[in-house]
Amino acid sequence: MQTMAVAQRKSEPATTGGKFLTFALGREEYGLPVLKVREIIKVMDITHVPQVEAHVLGVINLRGKVIPVIDLRRKFGFEPQAPTERTCIIVAEVALTSSTVMMGIVVDTVSEVVNVSPAEIEQPPDFGGQRANDYLLGLAKVKGGVKILLDLDRVLGSDGQVAIRTV
Amino acid sequence: MSKPSRKKPAKGASVVIDDELATFAADPELAAMFVSDGLEHLGTIEQTILKLEYAPNDLELVNDLFRPFHTIKGNAGVLGLRSIETFSHKLETLLDLARSGAHRIASAEIEVVLAAVDVLTTMVKDLPSRAAGQPVADQSAQCERILSAVDALIADETKSPTPTPIVVALQEPDPPAAAWLDEDATIRVSTRKLDALVDMVGELVIAQAILAENPALQRGNDDRLSRQLGQIRRITGDIQRDAMSMRMVPIRRTFQKLSRLVRDLGKKFDKPTNVVIVGEDTELDRKLVEQLTDPLMHMVRNTIDHGVEPQSVRAAAGKAEIAEIQLRAFHRGGGVVVEIADDGAGLDTQRIFERAVAQGLITDGTQMSAAEIHQLIFRPGFSTADQVTELSGRGVGMDVVRRNIQMLRGRIDIQTERGRGTTFSLRLPLTLAIVDGLVLSVGGDRFVIPTPAVQESLRPQPQQVHTTGGRPSMVQVRDRLIPLLHLGHAFGIQAAREEVSDGTVVIAEDNGRPVALVVDELLGKREVVIRSLGEMFRGVKGIAGGAILGDGRIGLILDTGGLLALAAATQAQQRTV
Repeated sequence: MQTMAVAQRKSEPATTGGKFLTFALGREEYGLPVLKVREIIKVMDITHVPQVEAHVLGVINLRGKVIPVIDLRRKFGFEPQAPTERTCIIVAEVALTSSTVMMGIVVDTVSEVVNVSPAEIEQPPDFGGQRANDYLLGLAKVKGGVKILLDLDRVLGSDGQVAIRTV
Repeated sequence: MSKPSRKKPAKGASVVIDDELATFAADPELAAMFVSDGLEHLGTIEQTILKLEYAPNDLELVNDLFRPFHTIKGNAGVLGLRSIETFSHKLETLLDLARSGAHRIASAEIEVVLAAVDVLTTMVKDLPSRAAGQPVADQSAQCERILSAVDALIADETKSPTPTPIVVALQEPDPPAAAWLDEDATIRVSTRKLDALVDMVGELVIAQAILAENPALQRGNDDRLSRQLGQIRRITGDIQRDAMSMRMVPIRRTFQKLSRLVRDLGKKFDKPTNVVIVGEDTELDRKLVEQLTDPLMHMVRNTIDHGVEPQSVRAAAGKAEIAEIQLRAFHRGGGVVVEIADDGAGLDTQRIFERAVAQGLITDGTQMSAAEIHQLIFRPGFSTADQVTELSGRGVGMDVVRRNIQMLRGRIDIQTERGRGTTFSLRLPLTLAIVDGLVLSVGGDRFVIPTPAVQESLRPQPQQVHTTGGRPSMVQVRDRLIPLLHLGHAFGIQAAREEVSDGTVVIAEDNGRPVALVVDELLGKREVVIRSLGEMFRGVKGIAGGAILGDGRIGLILDTGGLLALAAATQAQQRTV
């Protein structure tokens, strides 16, 4: 299954466009399929959970539901940054191996929802390795900028298993 | 009355299955009701037939047996489930003869009905899978075997009619059962909806607590406002209690399963055993009941194997040849007690001690009280059986039972008397959703430790703290030395107080092993709703879940077993440094 998906990505982008929620990390612009997004909330107190990787910030109480929160900056290897008033948590659905869960994703700022047509999507450059490309649905050239469209299940899905540091 | 016209189900089964399921698949609601009703009726049948075994002439019981079969048949007919309808019909025919006195119930009949209950249970349980098009094991051979057995019994009895049976026992009518069967008084709600309701109510309780803790309200001296807030608090509490009670189910079904198990094992190992059930209407949280069944089954197996003596031994000891196991459930002190009591041989303290020594669990000459020795049966690897039987003796079991019970935040006590029998008492909380906990602070973080796991807490004097290699490793409490676990260090919390004697030590226990947790402060006691942290954090050691605290933030719930493992790992690490 997986090799098929990768092979397919080399020939054509894995998405045919649609609505994407865009957000910024540093100076880069990213996009998430809007259907995956449940809501956007302000940064709130996060309860730290021990023994997890640094990009897993902990858990929050979202109206009675306990959901994990991921720092996308750290996940992608950016310099960590203290929350500002523009910092947001995007609550999105992520498919893990056996279930779909809600996760919070901390981003620098949420921009807007853009409509991406198939013609605007390019397949990500092939760097030879698969690691970076695995995360991507494609690159979208919208309004003079490039948005990196993320495959959220691939970015975070693996966290379901590997988030625990060995003690 | 009997219809010997049943046509080759062995071959035609798969064809019959598909078209007979049309109505069933078309109305999922009706289908779900049929399955749950059917299983309930089958449970009743099983229970009744076990009673009938000891009072085979009680026509009232036969009648009680006939009715649920009749209902199942009728409901199956409505849904067009012909295989179940025909099958139940044949059983009904036999029972109809029996209740009119034309057929006498003997052990062969009881065997057949029990086998039929098993097959019907499987058939009913398989229905949803079949409707979804999944393959299931073919029951038709089993059905055929039972049907021909029934035919043989009917044919046999009609040839030689027996004298009119006598009604032996004066059966007291069972009022709770009657209320329970009153269909108008109940509605069916999916457990998913119910769980969601309980969660939302938990949220309401927390929101109310947050409101009550609001400084703006606490400062004010508006009497009317505080009266109104009190009113809201009371109503919220009532709603919570009622919502919780909706998820409570009687332990009856579990006891029914257990009594069937006792009967089957007793038969197999030639240790006939009577089951007496007390308090089957005692209600527990549904999830608790589900997780309790396996440990209880295991304990019953052990009881039959080790507790109940062979008939000859019982006779020689002047005891009734038929053993008795009591299954009891009752409320006590805000919790539930479930007991398995036998009138068997009792625990052999000396032998347990010797076996434990032989198995290297303790050293010979260890001074132990009888109660402490009895607790050895819960040690991993312990077994008294000289040889492995089908029932038990592999030395896996009672330790797993205790672990499971502890996971349900319960505990097991043993009362035993040589030659008179043994009683295992399980003390359990009423519900798994709410736990009484101590809130602790470490650095800026808060944790909750379930109160049942806590033995005591103290502010240690510097001289109570013992170090190894310059690091604090043990705390002395009276004459006990208890390993320390600095939560701040273990969980990487920078702001935690460094000195053990500046903080508070909470002594917690798991499986009889203590650990002294070093925390900054105790913040108080409160009831919290336990929530899972989810799949992502399953591997985190020492954390059992999360609880939403008064200010809406999440406090992590500590798991003592995991903390002990962490403590052992830390101490091993320190030794190598």
